Amino acid sequence: MKSEFAFIALPISALVAPSTFAVQYLTVEQAQRAIFPNKSLTAAPVKLTPAQRKAIEQASGVRVLHDDQQVWQVSGGGWFIVDEVVGKHEFITYAVGLNANGSVKQIEVMDYRETYGGEIRNENWRAQFVGKTSQSQLKLDRDIKNISGATLSCRHITDGVKRLVAFYEVALKR
Amino acid sequence: MKSRSTVEIRRCRPLLGTFVEVAGAATNAATLERGIIAAFAAVEKVHRLMSFHDPDSDVSRMNRDAFPKSVIVHPWTWKVLEAAQRFARESHGVFDIATARFLASWGYFPGCQHQPDNAATWRDIFLRKNCRVFFRRKLIIDLGGIAKGFAVDRAVAALKASGVKAGIVNAGGDLRVFGPISRIIHVRHPAEPTVAAAAVRLSQRAMATSGVYFARRKHRGQYVSPLLDGCTGRFARELISVTVAADECVVADALTKIVFALRKQAAGLLDQYRADALILERDALPSSKFNLSCDIADRTRFD
Repeated sequence: MKSEFAFIALPISALVAPSTFAVQYLTVEQAQRAIFPNKSLTAAPVKLTPAQRKAIEQASGVRVLHDDQQVWQVSGGGWFIVDEVVGKHEFITYAVGLNANGSVKQIEVMDYRETYGGEIRNENWRAQFVGKTSQSQLKLDRDIKNISGATLSCRHITDGVKRLVAFYEVALKR
Repeated sequence: MKSRSTVEIRRCRPLLGTFVEVAGAATNAATLERGIIAAFAAVEKVHRLMSFHDPDSDVSRMNRDAFPKSVIVHPWTWKVLEAAQRFARESHGVFDIATARFLASWGYFPGCQHQPDNAATWRDIFLRKNCRVFFRRKLIIDLGGIAKGFAVDRAVAALKASGVKAGIVNAGGDLRVFGPISRIIHVRHPAEPTVAAAAVRLSQRAMATSGVYFARRKHRGQYVSPLLDGCTGRFARELISVTVAADECVVADALTKIVFALRKQAAGLLDQYRADALILERDALPSSKFNLSCDIADRTRFD
């Protein structure tokens, strides 16, 4: 099978139009099956009191933005939690599976969405592609499936998980 | 009438400090699920072995004890060290895993306790048989410039070993496509990283991109970045990105750093590895070097 690496110049309209990269990896049910296969889960949502919220923030060093947390108890022990983090450019919904002792079993990203800042400010860049209109059918706002180039660090999720481990200590642990 | 339907699964987990995506296609869903689990297990293993911050990783153990003593590392860590030293030799020190000393002083590793010898380089790293490593001077190594690529290759190997015939693994932009498929990969605009600036069609190949946009920091009023020339200690400040395609992701990963520093002077090394490079600059036309027989003016290849 021939290997190819060929550069495609994008049509100018593609550069001006805003682009979004969004992927749904798992629904809640699929995430539950991925992390706790063959277990039954019971919804046990938590609403934090101001005291709990403060305790979590102090223990983790991470701010708590919502008092409501979507939690499921896993048969045989463990918890399944759905959480979301918002960064400068990204919105991420993810699931964390905790073992019975509160340690992290597995993390799965459920929804990942990157937003954009707007039009390209540099006119020179745009000018390069004038006249190089390609027959390409690429519609950036729909067809971006794979990206190369450093993506954003997963620091927000790492902080989120830190917060959830503290949440377990404060609100879930027996 | 029999029909074979293909199952496609795509999963993502935060690992290696970024988002790692594993996608596969197979006719058997169970095979695919097992393959994806094995792929993530491989990435997690690389994460545990090569994390700079985890005190139990091979990297931390080396940074603590490879001078003046020695450390025995996992065979995977060993493979990465061997590759890193080879790239250092071939790039005459432009690629150098011992440059963590610069990064540490610029605040990239908060809480770092090490006090390295400022004259130390890759030449002070010695690899002995049975996975033993020692340093001739006190130095700090960081495998961040090569570990992601290696992790991608290991994940692909795990998928193949599980019987998955086609897929993609993407670790924060370092990626590899395998099997009888081709995929369009979008490359970020170096000055506007949330916008795509170019697209590349990839088949049975790996690709890595280095750009300063997300890794820049301010240090004493100036921008610094972790992409630096190991020989001069000078760092890359322009908003450009370098994309390299090669057979293996570990090679693509390391070569991006070398091409970033050497630009067109890296041509010989690209030839040697049958690698291709695409350079995107802020106020210039994209420049590229293709080693494979593909005609970039031929638009009939693209859909």
